[in-house]
Amino acid sequence: MTDHPGEMADGPGSGFWILHVLLVAAGCYVLGVQRLRARHHRWPITRSIAAGAALSCLALAALPVPPGTGFAGHAAQHLLLAMLAPLLLAFSAPVTLALRTAAVKPRRLLLVLLHSRFVGLLTTAPAVVVLSVGGVFTYYLTPLYDLAHRNDWAQGLAHLHMFLAGCLLSWYLIGRDPLPRRPTLPAALVVLLITAAGHDLLAKVLYAQSNTALDADPARVQLGAQIMYYGGNAVEVLLAVVVMGDWYRRTGRRLERDRRHQLRVAARSDPAVPGTPRPDSPSSSTRA
Amino acid sequence: MPADRSTTPVAAVGRSVVAGLLMGVGVAAFLDETVFHQLLHWHHFYDKSTADVGLVSDGFFHAGGWLAMVVGVFLFADLRRRRRAAPKRVWAGALIGWGGFQLYDGLVQHKLLGLHQIRYDVDLTAYDLTWNISAAVGLAAGLSLLLGPARASDPAG
Repeated sequence: MTDHPGEMADGPGSGFWILHVLLVAAGCYVLGVQRLRARHHRWPITRSIAAGAALSCLALAALPVPPGTGFAGHAAQHLLLAMLAPLLLAFSAPVTLALRTAAVKPRRLLLVLLHSRFVGLLTTAPAVVVLSVGGVFTYYLTPLYDLAHRNDWAQGLAHLHMFLAGCLLSWYLIGRDPLPRRPTLPAALVVLLITAAGHDLLAKVLYAQSNTALDADPARVQLGAQIMYYGGNAVEVLLAVVVMGDWYRRTGRRLERDRRHQLRVAARSDPAVPGTPRPDSPSSSTRA
Repeated sequence: MPADRSTTPVAAVGRSVVAGLLMGVGVAAFLDETVFHQLLHWHHFYDKSTADVGLVSDGFFHAGGWLAMVVGVFLFADLRRRRRAAPKRVWAGALIGWGGFQLYDGLVQHKLLGLHQIRYDVDLTAYDLTWNISAAVGLAAGLSLLLGPARASDPAG
């Protein structure tokens, strides 16, 4: 797949075909949004922007590692591929878009998949933790990394796994798409804590080992480890803010509903009860 | 948000303390990370003298630090929205969280686990004393606030 067989196949997907896959994905997304617009259905522009940004991240990750950067460049691409792109992609709600605009057959297939036991099992907290932390530990701390850099197929599979594991984590925590079930807030926070602590630990171990199997220059391994550390942190803080922001909005809606309900009950029992500010008719307080 | 102001909800004492605690831990972790690691470069990113158990502990504390900050801020915002924050209890929690975190960092992480030191190539006694005593003072102030009388949240808040 590489044009220069002598050169180490480096970077997520040295294959040019990945860019084509991304272009097709972008085309499908645009087509879906066009269909919704033709039906005069709303689709938040933020979701389209997130989709564009996610695909751009993936394109950057698919390019060859910038020359001379070695493991540091690899670390930056890894961040884009396995953390930032999945976060943006989860935000862009592609499954919802597909369910609303795809033809009947693919839509039915998608629904079967969503309701399958496999997806149900994947979206449990232990599965999310093991897949999103276990994978990277195995990749960077075993000879797998070395193997992946000598074999294009191993490389591609490893990167595909990391991308999908990142997607699983993002969808589980902040996905806008329908899932078999949503994690409770404590479960989401515990999963995020374990994942973040795992990434933190891995970056420090990489820094400490400065393994020359990753890069002949230990300084570049250390720089890469720090890029992973701080970059990973930034994405995880973003995840936490979205998780808590969703919770805040969810409880806010419930609060508003309860308050309206109480007002209505109070107004019905006694319009002049001191608990109600004004004996409004319930309909006047239903504006959001 | 249009709220019913004629009735003042009871202050949620427990949740106020928890929100404060989380924010206090977050601030302590943030100060440790930005001031000492990044700005002064007194601490090192990692000084390679650490046993594995220390690294795991550090990982959870670092991740827990910023997560606590985010969760604490949103919990506090939620209490404010419900007009149920008890300011004194929030402060009590914040001081306990900050003092407790720093004391743990100073005694367990620095000394017991030897994760890293406050500063390198200097006599550590003065630094250690300042670090741990200021933490203990914060912790004590928080505890006294917690045990003292709490006024319910002011409804104008």
